[in-house]
Amino acid sequence: MNQFSYFRSRRFRRLLVVSLICIVLLGVFVWYKLFRTVITVYADPVEHFKYGSIGVEVPAGIPYWIWVVLPRVFADKLPGAGGYVALGVSWEMGKEMPIGFTKEIVGIPRVGVNCAGCHTTSVRADPNAAPQFYLGGPTSRFRPQDYVRFLFACAHDDRFTSANLMKAILAIYDMPFVDRVLYRYLIIPATKSAILKSEKVDYYWMASRPDWGPGRTDMNPFQRQVMRLPDDHTIGSTDVMAIWNERAHAGMLHHSDGLNTTLTESSRAAALAAGATKSSIDIPAIDRVEAWLLDLPAPKYAFTIDQALAAKGQPIFAARCATCHAFGGARTGTVIPLAEIGTDPHRNKHWPQSSADAFNHWADGYPWAFHHFRSSDGYVALPLDGIWLRAPYLHNGSVPNMRELLSPPEQRSKVFYRGYDVYDQANMGFLSYGPQAELEGFRFDTSITGNSSQGHLYGTELAAADKQALIEYLKTL
Amino acid sequence: MAEPLTPVEQTTRSMAARVVTVFVMVIYVLGLFLYRRFNPNFPVVYTAIEEHFKYGSIGSEAANGIPYWIWRVLPDMFPDKLPGNGYASFGFVFEPGHEVPIGLARRRVIIDRLGMNCAICHTGTVRDTPDSPPRIYLGMPANTFDLQSYLRFLMACAMDGRFTADNVVRAIKARKRLDPLETLVYQQAVYQTREVLLQRNLQTAFMNSRPDWGPGRVDTFNPYKTVQFNFPMDNDHTVGATDLPSIWNQKPRQGMQLHWDGNCDSLEERDKSAALGAGVTPVTIDLKSLQRIEDWLLDGLQAPKYPYAIDESVAAQGAPIYKAHCASCHDFGSPYVGKVTPIAEIGTDRGRLDSYTYPFASNMNLLYAGYPWRFTHFRKTDGYANMPLDGIWLRAPYLHNGSVPTLRDLLEAPAARPRTFYRGYDVYDRKKAGFVSDVASEKGKKYFLYDTSLPGNGNGGHLYGTDLSPAEKDALVEYMKKL
Repeated sequence: MNQFSYFRSRRFRRLLVVSLICIVLLGVFVWYKLFRTVITVYADPVEHFKYGSIGVEVPAGIPYWIWVVLPRVFADKLPGAGGYVALGVSWEMGKEMPIGFTKEIVGIPRVGVNCAGCHTTSVRADPNAAPQFYLGGPTSRFRPQDYVRFLFACAHDDRFTSANLMKAILAIYDMPFVDRVLYRYLIIPATKSAILKSEKVDYYWMASRPDWGPGRTDMNPFQRQVMRLPDDHTIGSTDVMAIWNERAHAGMLHHSDGLNTTLTESSRAAALAAGATKSSIDIPAIDRVEAWLLDLPAPKYAFTIDQALAAKGQPIFAARCATCHAFGGARTGTVIPLAEIGTDPHRNKHWPQSSADAFNHWADGYPWAFHHFRSSDGYVALPLDGIWLRAPYLHNGSVPNMRELLSPPEQRSKVFYRGYDVYDQANMGFLSYGPQAELEGFRFDTSITGNSSQGHLYGTELAAADKQALIEYLKTL
Repeated sequence: MAEPLTPVEQTTRSMAARVVTVFVMVIYVLGLFLYRRFNPNFPVVYTAIEEHFKYGSIGSEAANGIPYWIWRVLPDMFPDKLPGNGYASFGFVFEPGHEVPIGLARRRVIIDRLGMNCAICHTGTVRDTPDSPPRIYLGMPANTFDLQSYLRFLMACAMDGRFTADNVVRAIKARKRLDPLETLVYQQAVYQTREVLLQRNLQTAFMNSRPDWGPGRVDTFNPYKTVQFNFPMDNDHTVGATDLPSIWNQKPRQGMQLHWDGNCDSLEERDKSAALGAGVTPVTIDLKSLQRIEDWLLDGLQAPKYPYAIDESVAAQGAPIYKAHCASCHDFGSPYVGKVTPIAEIGTDRGRLDSYTYPFASNMNLLYAGYPWRFTHFRKTDGYANMPLDGIWLRAPYLHNGSVPTLRDLLEAPAARPRTFYRGYDVYDRKKAGFVSDVASEKGKKYFLYDTSLPGNGNGGHLYGTDLSPAEKDALVEYMKKL
């Protein structure tokens, strides 16, 4: 008998075929349950803006059921009552996810973020009213930093165990057996280590920078997380910007320091900073949203305007503001040098030409590679469409309302509270003081590096009545 | 080909086979016995819908039920914690021949457990005179039942050092024989029950800094914030206690803004939300059972007719007054019925409105997540909803917070409405249409003093009809008895 006869026997061949089938089935199972990606395409671009994917879920999606129970298990790690609402999310009634949060299948349902989380703002007429949401506005309440910090804090906690989280999940959902096994033995432990790894690798720089607070972000993720440039210890604190009415902004510089000349590249770069990667970024989805933003109108002022007073303010605006801030103004959409504008320099210094050069080559070889990043010596003078919703003011959000912006810097608030979305009609901005603002808001201290409220002295010397008229006029923009 | 077996081998093998067979059969029988004995999920089934409503399970037992025998012996063990004699002293409605009051359902989850069902808050009684027997009305607000006191009693028992496995089992054995297996199971059940009740005690501690609900009232959404979502209550000072509503005649209510503040316009979600309040979870809810009740409430259960004499000629004078002053907001088919009147206009106590917050409403979007019936109909509103008035005679006290004892009092200007009155008494006041509200105690039972000056208890607002003449008001009340 040949010593290899067994390997030629029918029995062996049968064993081989069965093993192969098993391996293939196992492979299909693993693919199906862990990697199969099904991304929702919302027919309506508005829905896609609010709930659609930009490509964050594959690299950074939080498994849905973990996301659901974290605020209940770790309520003590949130700044107040309300689950994710305590972090300032805008949540439409009846919707499974808050605006700016996506639920897509990457093996299992996972939760990602998109543009709308930071670029949707909420306003309440009074503290007990339901908030009104304005798409495209810079968020008044959402705290992107505290969202990631909440995830970090949960992952660090000893209670982040499969046993605890499964107990919380199974209390509200009769999870199928296979998913239970996967969650318990793979997904929960893997999520914990992925969050901790992200803290170390992507966000290591955050602890040494000032807290952002609601409605602000830091530009560091472009350089640290996306490009992996070494830490230069610069501070990129900046107010979130409005992104409506983009067609009218065509040709103007983007970002507060004008670091890019095109809307398309700015949008894509923002998606990368939000967590998409070279391989996961959903360019068609972002393009759709961008196309919709072109003609998204700036919302009209939601309260009553004294039209007669506004009419008095119009010539003041024309004389004092229009050159830099009216559509068609000579300097509108261009960079005003730091020496001239005098506002906090940190955000400008944060983006040197070397970073622009690096970004312009970072995605070489991709059809969507960047070419239009640049560095500047100041901050862009923006048109003021929907300015009533864009408080606090200045690029770093250091001045709570328009009345204070029209006051000399030494009279502007040294400390105020951000993130309370009840509107202050008298001063044009959000209420920034008082017990409830302190309770719901974030203490913004202008003495912290990057938070200075200096500069932009235009109009500060106007008579009180003229300021009043100017503010009334600005409400009409 | 294997070697043929020797006779000895054959015998050994068949012996072994027989042993295995017997073993398997024993395991099977034992398993069957244990399963029948300790069925993991087996509600008591009632064929008649009324019995099902009163005693049938909606699925609250598994997660939030109390083992029946533990429940039975708590009054034996802790009589000092009861407001009076036995469970009846909480104002439960007991029917003759029943150990368990209406509103508590029995389901075997390893052992028999009692959980709350809809009827606990939606069944009430009326007496014609202090000496009459109570007449039970299904679907009416539980006018006599003090839910908060009952829950506090259970939690206080669990907090007590005497609530130990040994003590509880001893108390059960004084009433019932327990075999060793049952003894073991009940000992475990004591630990588990205590754990659940202690957790509820923490979650409802905020209640102690708010006025007591009193009979016939519940703070619907504040306990919900802590029990479902673990919200901290440090900065939430809202007072949400309201009167219990009637739940008959639901069909014409479809599409209306339901709940006092009109925060939900889906009957199904309103019901599944109430079921959570009764103790079900999205996992344990018995949807078929709930559906049976819902079908019956939709078409079957109608508002009960006023059982006393109505002066038809006076009522006839009231009809046009009703039409002129009330119908546009309160009649089925009228333009404003089932819609919210802003708080600035209605002017009633805003406590309940403010207790339902935007953060809470947002989180409700995740209730029943993972199921096709996930909530999608809850929203924050700015006032109180105009309710249809079918069977209004049985729905006293009035206004959303039950702050006005009778219909006649509601037609007085707020300053002339009673500042304090007693709740929980079920003798009917035929003159004023409502329950007699000046009886502090009767036959040793104390009634609850409702103070309209406490937070959430205000009796202001709803000024409609207050400027009518006394005769017109009387006529209007007489007419409203017919609704």
